[in-house]
Amino acid sequence: MSSSTPPVPPVVLGTGNNIIINPLQRGNQVLDCIRNVGKEFGDIIADYQVGRTTGVLFLSLKYHRLHPEYIHIRIEKLGHSYTLRILLILCDITEHRDPIRELTKVCLINNITVLVAFSFEEAAHYLSTLKQFEHKPPDMIKERIDKDYNAILRTALTSISKVNKTDVETLRTSFGSFANIAKATPEQLRNLPGFGQVKVKNVKNTFEKPVRNNA
Amino acid sequence: MSTLLPFHKAILEQIHDPATSELLILARGLGLRRIICTLMKIYDSPQNLVLLVNATPEEESEIGEELGIMGCRKPGLRVVGYETGSKDRQDLYKKGGLISVTSRILVVDMLQGDIPTHLITGILVMHAEKVTPLVLEAFIVRLYREKNKNGFLKAFTDQPEHITSGLSPLRNIMKELQLRKVHIYPRFQEDVKKSLERRRADVVELSQPLTEAMADIHHAIIQCMSTTISELKRSNATLDLDDFNVENAYFRSFDVVVRRQLDSVWHKVGPRTKQLVNDLGTLRRLLYYLLTYDPLQFHAYLETLIASNSTTASGGVKQHQSPWLLTDAAHIIFQVAKRRCYTVSSGSKVKLPQVIDLVDDEDAWQALDEIENGHANDKGKQKETRPTWLPEGMEPVLEELPKWNLLAEILQEAEEEMLRHESLRKPITAPNIGSNTVLVMASSTRTCGVLTEFLSTIDHDAPNGTKGRRMMLRKLRLYLWWKSKLAERKQDGKSHFALPDGPGRVGNGFEKLYGEGDNISEALKKKDKVRAERAASRRRVRGGAPAAVPRDASSKNDSQASVMGEIQNEAETFAQYWESQGGGTSAESPLTLADDLTLLDFESGALESEFDEHYGLLAPEQTVLVRAYSDDTDDRMLAEIQPKFIVMFEPNMEFIRRIEVYKSSHPGLAVRVYHMVYGNSCEEHKYLAGIRKEKESFERLIKERGSMLLPLYEERRDGVSDAVVKTISTRIAGGRRELSTQPSQVIVDMREFRSTLPSLLHASNMLVIPATLTVGDYIITPEICVERKSLSDLISSFNSGRLYTQCELMSVHYKTPMLLIEFEEDKAFTLDVVSDIKLYAKPTGKYPTKKKPGGGTDSDQAVLLQSKICLLMLTFPRVRIIWSSSPYATAEIFRDLKMNNPEPDPTMAIAIGADDDPEVGAGVNAAAEELLRCLPGITAKNIKHVMNRISTVRELCEMDIFQVQELLDVMYTGLHGKHSISVNGVQNLPP
Repeated sequence: MSSSTPPVPPVVLGTGNNIIINPLQRGNQVLDCIRNVGKEFGDIIADYQVGRTTGVLFLSLKYHRLHPEYIHIRIEKLGHSYTLRILLILCDITEHRDPIRELTKVCLINNITVLVAFSFEEAAHYLSTLKQFEHKPPDMIKERIDKDYNAILRTALTSISKVNKTDVETLRTSFGSFANIAKATPEQLRNLPGFGQVKVKNVKNTFEKPVRNNA
Repeated sequence: MSTLLPFHKAILEQIHDPATSELLILARGLGLRRIICTLMKIYDSPQNLVLLVNATPEEESEIGEELGIMGCRKPGLRVVGYETGSKDRQDLYKKGGLISVTSRILVVDMLQGDIPTHLITGILVMHAEKVTPLVLEAFIVRLYREKNKNGFLKAFTDQPEHITSGLSPLRNIMKELQLRKVHIYPRFQEDVKKSLERRRADVVELSQPLTEAMADIHHAIIQCMSTTISELKRSNATLDLDDFNVENAYFRSFDVVVRRQLDSVWHKVGPRTKQLVNDLGTLRRLLYYLLTYDPLQFHAYLETLIASNSTTASGGVKQHQSPWLLTDAAHIIFQVAKRRCYTVSSGSKVKLPQVIDLVDDEDAWQALDEIENGHANDKGKQKETRPTWLPEGMEPVLEELPKWNLLAEILQEAEEEMLRHESLRKPITAPNIGSNTVLVMASSTRTCGVLTEFLSTIDHDAPNGTKGRRMMLRKLRLYLWWKSKLAERKQDGKSHFALPDGPGRVGNGFEKLYGEGDNISEALKKKDKVRAERAASRRRVRGGAPAAVPRDASSKNDSQASVMGEIQNEAETFAQYWESQGGGTSAESPLTLADDLTLLDFESGALESEFDEHYGLLAPEQTVLVRAYSDDTDDRMLAEIQPKFIVMFEPNMEFIRRIEVYKSSHPGLAVRVYHMVYGNSCEEHKYLAGIRKEKESFERLIKERGSMLLPLYEERRDGVSDAVVKTISTRIAGGRRELSTQPSQVIVDMREFRSTLPSLLHASNMLVIPATLTVGDYIITPEICVERKSLSDLISSFNSGRLYTQCELMSVHYKTPMLLIEFEEDKAFTLDVVSDIKLYAKPTGKYPTKKKPGGGTDSDQAVLLQSKICLLMLTFPRVRIIWSSSPYATAEIFRDLKMNNPEPDPTMAIAIGADDDPEVGAGVNAAAEELLRCLPGITAKNIKHVMNRISTVRELCEMDIFQVQELLDVMYTGLHGKHSISVNGVQNLPP
């Protein structure tokens, strides 16, 4: 991670399956921690190219403290290449508040997304995951609709505060359906194991208090 | 309401002046509520607007009731919750009077100008000990003082122990509340002393020694605690852990102390340390249970403990054993606990019995019991006949808690005393002073239940220690039944796992026990619970009286759904036994048996009459009431019941003071108090240490008050000066452009007022504008929209997919959507992943590599938070992420981002994304909204329509298919514009 400046080559398309690493990063501990994906060195503007359109700059806050100008030079050189531009910050100092605030602002202006990692392993994990997920559809974080009844029931009822999975199970077995649970009287609820006053109140409030005060 | 004591009057004299503001710290039990209520009564008038802030719903209703009793009921105390519409609220505020407001609503109203802040006469703040710079109450005070310099602010607390941690804690609270005066009234204050010590109650202190077995267990638990603590010290050598000793560990606050010590390094301490901290909590609970639970319950709890300690939630063998479980002391605990319940004569396998018709026999026995109704006769029978349902080879020991016996003696004495008084001074005494009720106070409703049962089944002629034999036998039977259920489950699950064939005795050591631990599977646990439930509900149907469902049985089944180890062998034999005795009925018989358990609803009036039936010794008009300690409500209970005899089953400092107050305010009433403590036990120690602690914290507070440096409150600058500084920046050459004098403003979603950030934004001189936003939580500039997520929020909204929708929406409407990941102040600034990363590095294949993409990942627990963040970034390249170590840092970042940018427009922000929701800005039942959101068919887009159409969730459930269809159709039209109404409407109309 020296601030010496090699000539700027255009975006390099490697074999496609590897993370392309800027030779500047040679000796960075992160490299040892990257697993599960291939690595190759190549002349790129970013530090790591983890996809055709994704470039990552790496910055250790320790280094940043010593050379605050370094990252600005790198960002300037990055220009407008890549659609997803990431600044991977390794948070390895305790006084992180000010540098992170300042970097957040700089990145916002330059259309860069900030990622903060707290260890070399974590940083490496981010890099390899970004590469692996390059073509992955966002199903994993999307709303899932094809769940079975019990799963829906569980997520729905646990959204009430103090109600846990065990309670959902208790409710389901004693009342059968969502509609029946909605109709349950406080006395019925109070007799269930694990249901104290507070919990009964929360459940009843959720079902029976007006959703909107349209009055 | 009873009269005020001289010291109450003295306090009121000091604080009633509406021109001054102050903080009152009163010792617990001295009647804080009485003071507050009197104060409110003084202020009650339509010309005044007095707000009560930070009261719990229970307190609100109690205070309201008490005010009513005091004759302040024209409007009395009105409560404002979210159900009250903003129009109604405005009206209410204008009319004045006493109003209790939820903090969140008050903040929004103050910011929006719905409440005339400058006209507020005063604010009363409850629970002042909880005020920190981050809470809403501090925000309220700031907003209040900004516009209103003359109104009063009175803060109250009766928890001096809470105001002792950190540097000058009292000053911090006073700074946040902007107060300059504090009154401290400990029990040892001169006025208080004088008022209370004129008439002392007649207190009988009873120190009950523990039984030998209990003392053994007690000692062993203490030993385990000290082992755990020294272990904890050893593994964290660098920390200042002077406070870590067994004495402190008796208190619940100890956990907080430990956490505060370790918080800064919490992410670095291994799971081992966390386990140790947890263990201390468990052991402390054990100590408490030892003294309050009956032996069978205690034993059952221990069994559960072993089980849950040897398996993880997912059923695998637990990696980090609690070290104390492996000590000799723990061994003693388990063995002695069992010996208190029963002994199984070794060698003989339990033989199958000859008696078949158990249930009938039992019924007959009970019928006989009822008919004869003579205890002596019955007792003889009980002594001789060994209950037929008892498996052979098992000898019930059934030790009873020594306090039960003591209680029985006390009641007898009280009754004799009453009779004596009756005969002695009947002509002299005024008839209306004091009732002959004996009040028994215990620490929890659970204890109350046991005591009630004990008293109703008591056998007075039995020798000491066996008076509750009947109850204990019944409990034993329930216990056996519970155990047999365990075995049933085992048999059901045989296909799933191999059962250990050899009998694993306790002596065989714990390794064996733990080895079996992983046998339990989630599915089986569930199954067992289902069955228990079914049994319970069957019972309910038959009995027709849901209140009488045996709480014991069902709660046991539930809480102890997973018991393991050597227990299971026993359980199996018991099960065989049960089965042999009438198969199917086995599930029900104990429940039928439990029918006559007098587990009563303690609030019900039926209680007294019930007692008279069971407790034949006392004259009919005399009753025994068993209650649990609660808060200031106890004062009123005492005043209403006016008992002459009070038994404190467990020591409680507050209640003693309540009795003092009660006694002093009822001159001429002879009160006798029996105060029971287990001698040489943690109970005694805890009680004494509690008193000492309170005294010390009061002393500290008084000292701090003496040397306190009171800050001068600076006038809050108007936003203008700041705005000028902001706009003269180097980028506008020479500042030639016209300066905007508009203050910095941030638009904040209503729901965000639950968090601390809005308050801090306001504190850093930004104008906070509350609004109901459909898209985003904070609008900083016309282009920047921020969605705030705390760590737990982040995880859950990733799981539910909500974050995806939110990012989608933000990306559509704003140029720069931002995701704010906010960590907590004082907590470590890191994602809690240390262990996860290790997992991933191992070649276990837990991490979804490219080789097995898609399908399997959903179920895989190891899918990391980081991976999801990566995926989010790849999906929404325009979403920026703000990493903030605390709300303070967030406020700074926001200010930075606003620099040189135009101000956002509230009307625009509200309009964005809000399709055509007419109820913008109205109060919303947040819990119900959350619930609706999770239902299938309801999305972020149509939820508003549904919420406008239905009044409650319950109503939605009661709709038939056509109504639902119509409802969703309305959603459809809302989404797709007017023209589609006709088409869809016709299609979906019912034929």
